[in-house]
Formats: sequence, structure tokens, C-alpha cells
Amino acid sequence: MSEFVEECRREWRRLGVPDPVANEMAADLSADLEEAEAEGGSPEDVLGNSAFDPRRFASAWAVARGVTSQPAVDRPSLWRRPVAVALAAFLAVLTVGAGLALLVGFRSHSFAVAAHPMRVFAPGPNRIALPGSLGPFEGTQIAGAVHPVALVLLIVGVIGLGLLAVLYWSPWSGFRRDRHGGGRTRSWN
Amino acid sequence: MGNPEGRRSQLLRGVLDLCLLAVMGDGPAYGYEMTKRLRGRGLSIVGEGSIYPLLGRLERDGLVETHRAASNGGPPRKYYSLSPEGKRALETGVSEWRATRDAVDGALGLANAEVAQ
Repeated sequence: MSEFVEECRREWRRLGVPDPVANEMAADLSADLEEAEAEGGSPEDVLGNSAFDPRRFASAWAVARGVTSQPAVDRPSLWRRPVAVALAAFLAVLTVGAGLALLVGFRSHSFAVAAHPMRVFAPGPNRIALPGSLGPFEGTQIAGAVHPVALVLLIVGVIGLGLLAVLYWSPWSGFRRDRHGGGRTRSWN
Repeated sequence: MGNPEGRRSQLLRGVLDLCLLAVMGDGPAYGYEMTKRLRGRGLSIVGEGSIYPLLGRLERDGLVETHRAASNGGPPRKYYSLSPEGKRALETGVSEWRATRDAVDGALGLANAEVAQ
């Protein structure tokens, strides 16, 4: 039995399709796929573009026949969708925040100061000295220390958003299906 | 304008059940056999959805009758044939399709005349 049919069986089991009905559907599907293959055809000749989405196909068929014991809802997406939205919001805030921090860091050179002879900042290329009425002040620019962190956060945010976008648009994702189909598959899949 | 494949899918979606009932008029057939009959009439479903869910709905609605029988040297298959309700639905559907087609043809003909001017 092909991997496609096995995947259908798993979906029918999840939907509570009675075993005799699932066996009948699997047998018919297998026989048709084998006949197409023997004639030099492909699964697409039998299934159209449903050949790329066995779960959706199996669900649509079972729903159309009225043999499911529960609604054809992609169960993982029930928790996955809110989590995905929350994650996307977090990544968006992270990305924007990191971007703003970088912008501010580039535009203003903030620094911390300490009265001489305190040396609370490690010496480095950003160390500066300012004259003052109480004596010279020494300090180290802290904007330069913020940049690497903000840059890393920005990269993490952008990559995270990119991965979410890829997941969202991938054909095997349930995100879009739920949004457009309300959790139910169409009668003709 | 939208992409042509998307429009074709939308158009087919409304009449594929009618096409299936029509090819069953040639005699009982199993799923893939109907796909081949459709292809023989110039209607390929490659790139479209599968016919199985649609056959399931036709069966649930009582428009087709089914029985299992051995195919040519192969395993027993589920054969679909028109029920009396299915024959009536086919007749009604064909009339509706022709009326719709004529109306759309008229509208598109008018549009063509406007474009030509």
C-alpha cells in the first residue's frame, strides 16, 4: 500500500471513520492508483492536485461521504494557530525594538561618565575623557556595547519571521487552511 | 484579471458533479474509470482536485447507486451508476447549464462587441 494511502488511513482513523468504511476506501484508492501506475500514469492522473495533500484529501472524502464521527478539524492547528500568532507578534516586536535600538545607537553616541580617578569601565577604543570644573571625567561609550546585542536580536527576529512565513505558505501547513476554510475541507478537493 | 487556472477551477467546481453524472450515463464505472472517461471527453482533472469526495457526496445524496464487482483481472471495485434521482438531477443540471451558458455567452458577446468598437 502506498505511502499516500497509509497517510489517508491515518487521517480516517483520526476522524473516527469506521474501519470497514476506511478499508473499502483504501482498497478502492489503492486499486485506482495501481491501475494508473500500470498504465504509465502518475498519482496526479487519479487524484489531481490532491496527490500532494493526503490528509486534506482523506478528510474531504470522509466528510463528503458523511462517515466521520467528528468535525474535520485539523486538531493541531487549534493550539498551533494562537501560538503562531503570539510568536509572530513577539518576533515582530523583537525585530522592531532591535531595529530601533540600532538606529538610536547609530544616531546618538550616549556614554556613561565617572569622576576621575574612578575607573569603572574597562579601557577600550571607545573610552573618552572630558574636561570639567570638578576635574576631568572619563567614560566609555555604551552605545557600542548595545549594537551587537541589538544586531543579534534583529537577526533572530528576521529569521524567525521568515521561518513563520515559510511555514504559513507551505502546502503542508494547517495555518492557511484553517483561516480560509474555517477548519473544514471543501467537498471537492 | 485573475489567473486563468484559478478561473478554470472555479468554473469546473460548479459543474464537475454534472460531468460525473453524465459519464455515468455511459454505464457503471469505478473512480479512475470515470477520470479516464472525462479525459476521453477532453476534460482533464490534472491540476484540479480529486473526484472521490464528489462521488462520496453524490452517493450520500442518493444521486448514484453503487455495487462492488471484479474489474478486468483486477481487484473488486466499487462501481457507480445513476440512480433515478441522479437521472433527474442530470436532466435538470444540463438545462441549468445550458441556460447559464447561453446567458454568459450573451454577456460575453456584448462585451466583445464593445471591445471591438
